[in-house]
Amino acid sequence: MPLEDFAAEMDRCSQCSYCKWIPFDQVRSWRFAKNCPSVSYYNFNSYSARGRYAVARSLIRGQSGYSDTVRDIVFTCMTCGSCDVSCKVCRYNLEPLEMVRELKFRLVEDGQGLEAHRAIIQSLDREQNTMQRPRSGRGDWADGLDVRRLASEKGKVLFHAGCRLSYDEDLQQSARAAVDLFRKAGVDVGIMGEQEMCCGGRIYAMGYREEFARFARANMAAWARAGVETIVTSCADGYHAFKRLYPQLGSGVQVLHTVEFLARLIQEKKIVFRLEVPMTVTYHDPCHLGRQGEPYVPWDGVEKKIKGQIVVYEPERPRYNGAWGVYDPPREILRSIPGVELVEMERIREYSWCCGAGGGVREAYPEYSQWTAGERISEAIATGAEALVTACPWCERNFQDAAGTMGEPMQVYDLVELVQKAV
Amino acid sequence: MALPKEVYKALKDIVGSENISDDPALLDSYRYSLAHTAIHLGPYYDTFTPRGAAVLLPGSTGEVQAIVRLCNEHKIKFKASSTFWSAQGYPSEDDTIQLDMRRMDRILEIDERNMFAVVEPGVIGATLQAEAMKVGLNTHIAGSGCSCSVLAGATSYFGSGPSNLYGGWHYENLLGAEWVMPTGDLFRIGSLGSGCGWFCGEGPGPSMRGIARGFLGAKGAMGVFTKCAIKLFAWPGPESLPVEGTVPAYRVSLPDNFRAYTVAFPSWKAWADAAYLIWDTGIGYLAHRQFNMFGRELKYAMVKILTDPSKTLGDLEELLEDPEVQRVTEASKRDFQIVLAGMTPRDLAWQERAFDEILARTAGWKVEAMNQPDVADWSLLYLLRLGHKNLNLVFGGSYDGCFGLLGTADYGTTHVEESGQLKKEWEEQGAVVQAGGDCTMGPIGGQGGGGTCLWENFTCFDPYERESVEGTRALFDAATKLGLARGWGVGMEKWNAQCRGPDGRTTPKEERDRIHLSAPQPSVFRYQHKIRRAFNPNDLGDAYYETLDDEAD
Repeated sequence: MPLEDFAAEMDRCSQCSYCKWIPFDQVRSWRFAKNCPSVSYYNFNSYSARGRYAVARSLIRGQSGYSDTVRDIVFTCMTCGSCDVSCKVCRYNLEPLEMVRELKFRLVEDGQGLEAHRAIIQSLDREQNTMQRPRSGRGDWADGLDVRRLASEKGKVLFHAGCRLSYDEDLQQSARAAVDLFRKAGVDVGIMGEQEMCCGGRIYAMGYREEFARFARANMAAWARAGVETIVTSCADGYHAFKRLYPQLGSGVQVLHTVEFLARLIQEKKIVFRLEVPMTVTYHDPCHLGRQGEPYVPWDGVEKKIKGQIVVYEPERPRYNGAWGVYDPPREILRSIPGVELVEMERIREYSWCCGAGGGVREAYPEYSQWTAGERISEAIATGAEALVTACPWCERNFQDAAGTMGEPMQVYDLVELVQKAV
Repeated sequence: MALPKEVYKALKDIVGSENISDDPALLDSYRYSLAHTAIHLGPYYDTFTPRGAAVLLPGSTGEVQAIVRLCNEHKIKFKASSTFWSAQGYPSEDDTIQLDMRRMDRILEIDERNMFAVVEPGVIGATLQAEAMKVGLNTHIAGSGCSCSVLAGATSYFGSGPSNLYGGWHYENLLGAEWVMPTGDLFRIGSLGSGCGWFCGEGPGPSMRGIARGFLGAKGAMGVFTKCAIKLFAWPGPESLPVEGTVPAYRVSLPDNFRAYTVAFPSWKAWADAAYLIWDTGIGYLAHRQFNMFGRELKYAMVKILTDPSKTLGDLEELLEDPEVQRVTEASKRDFQIVLAGMTPRDLAWQERAFDEILARTAGWKVEAMNQPDVADWSLLYLLRLGHKNLNLVFGGSYDGCFGLLGTADYGTTHVEESGQLKKEWEEQGAVVQAGGDCTMGPIGGQGGGGTCLWENFTCFDPYERESVEGTRALFDAATKLGLARGWGVGMEKWNAQCRGPDGRTTPKEERDRIHLSAPQPSVFRYQHKIRRAFNPNDLGDAYYETLDDEAD
């Protein structure tokens, strides 16, 4: 939807600043009450959702023009969606996350994208990954794994490793573990190996809509050729892309995050824990699995008014407010692992603090990205946990880097690693 | 007009380059729409407060002082705001420097024994309440909600809210304060000024709260308050609110010493009698006519939506057809919400008995549908935290209050039907949400020993639709006319008209003088004129600190 179509929302945003805080009902302390990394770091109103509405209005009305400041305002948004959740505690007719995505698209279309992002896009065109690494190495993570390659064979269940797990040698063990666990549970899972392509989710969050669509169509075609009916991924960004974005382009495959699949297999006793993992852990909800992990619901409607001036939609518009994200399966898994004690941070589930890796921020604003991750490490430390567990390699990478920089002994795990330790 | 380069550089040297900007787009995120809430002078379609000359984020009292001194040196106006709920925090004139106090957001102290907290401007009701609860204390939260600055409500406005009854209005709760005066000098008010700590707003030490605040608060027009102490009160609940439920239908189940009731009455006289009896009996933790803000005809249907995460505004019309909803709506026409909190089980038992006796004497009743556990727990959380105030805007994106008359319970109940009837006539024309006319809401009980109420009749409209905005303004003009004709005075719909005009800028002096001269006590503004001349010699604040000079007559 063009940026101009958000003009009503720009005026209807009441500038209340709820978008700067977790839902107020959930505030338990001064220290961990904020929700939006960008306004928390940069402080000016313009770095919040309410401010971005105002900046967008200023731009489309020609009251201001592009500048380095404007580019920073737009591209420091991690599109984590925490503003969206807080706004919608009270509002039913604003979509701040959608608006800021559209604002990013507009800047990119107008040639105002960031150099750091352009370099990724250029590499992506050649190498088909966002890690700026050779395409030929994409399947190396699975070397030695006895698993079918669906680029040349048929298979119904595909494990999509994603760019980060395919190339990050420190983390890719969890991808191997996931495949191993599935296979031992009797799941006939395959991978694309060297032929796997980027899901496009991260470039979509940077503002590159057309490039995203190109990758989405290519992936969907590859899946169709292989007969894939279910995609499983350990990457929350990939999960969001497949679950929420691909259906908008016609995808009908079932999408599961690894934690959903594992929770199911544990419940069905196809995975049985035999070992204790004596550890106090806390769990970080990845934004794209949690509040943005709600399923896509097609809608093609219009705004209408009832009772004179109440804004509603015909037909009723789906409401994405984080209520129905993927929160319970990872917690169920952690609670089922012998020896693991789960302690919760203050900001969890739909009002979780972002890891700092999203929206192209890790690539373009590394210091701010690390500060954001550091805030989460501090929150994890406050729980008394020994380890911070998550379910996305981008979160894991950012947390590991931040913990290292901070000199904190906090261990960081992908949930799959703990499952593997216990079987 | 941009600031002179040397001035901008000097300001940058004070706060650091990362804490100042004059980028036009960024400045536009510090402009307030006059088609929005808390304007109290319009509304005006597609009109904004003026663009500032720069925005600064000071990080300390010293930086604020340096900024203000520089402004005096160069005769540049400045306006400070902490949480920007209302138009009052934004510049009224071109070339004004906007101070965003967000970085000064620390809770400096919670004195558990003496029951007060020391806070900086950026501390909001929610965070102070959360920290106070850890030590068995609570803070009053102003009606604008827990997103708003505690300091702003105490130093710069009147800070009325649902817990007026037990916690006091925030301007009453103001103790010691640190004030960067309009000249840049630092003044420590109350006991703080004599080196005795923060515990008292008047003394031992300079008794300056009245001077610094002026009539209803200085609203950012007389220097900058950088710290203040605020009274806290007892919290007989857990250290943290055990919130449950799926967003947005959060709720809290508290120990048995809490009750949240919605009650209703057969007549407005009975309603007012109950309010007086609550005050006289000394029961209640907070009392508020809260959910009527959705409108007499919509409130229960809205509660059904807000307590069910699967529902949206799109379900409203169907809910309104539900006979059960209609029955509850009819039964709760003249209602309010009250929270009882017992300091001991015996205390609660006594309060319960006293409250039942009050209901018996006034023929009031508990609205059972609202008192079912899930709804009562939702209502309890809503009222204690006041974290859903943005529901004011839920319908079309904007609201403002009309009437808003401050007085005894009888005073409010006298005009509620007539003001509701007037509004209903305008609702039928379609410019504003059709909600049943009576959308009056506000706190019950407060200062003055008589159950003081402050009721505004909420009016919801669409700021994006010119007809809606202009129709609302026509309603507000009619409300003012009716208020004057009935001798009620000018309602809150015009409260700011003497400070800021239809273009978002300062009201011309002739008009301000006319309004102030027609006020019941013009000498208040003449006195403030003398104060302003003495404390703000370079006239660097806007007209929200209201004055009337000696020549005006």
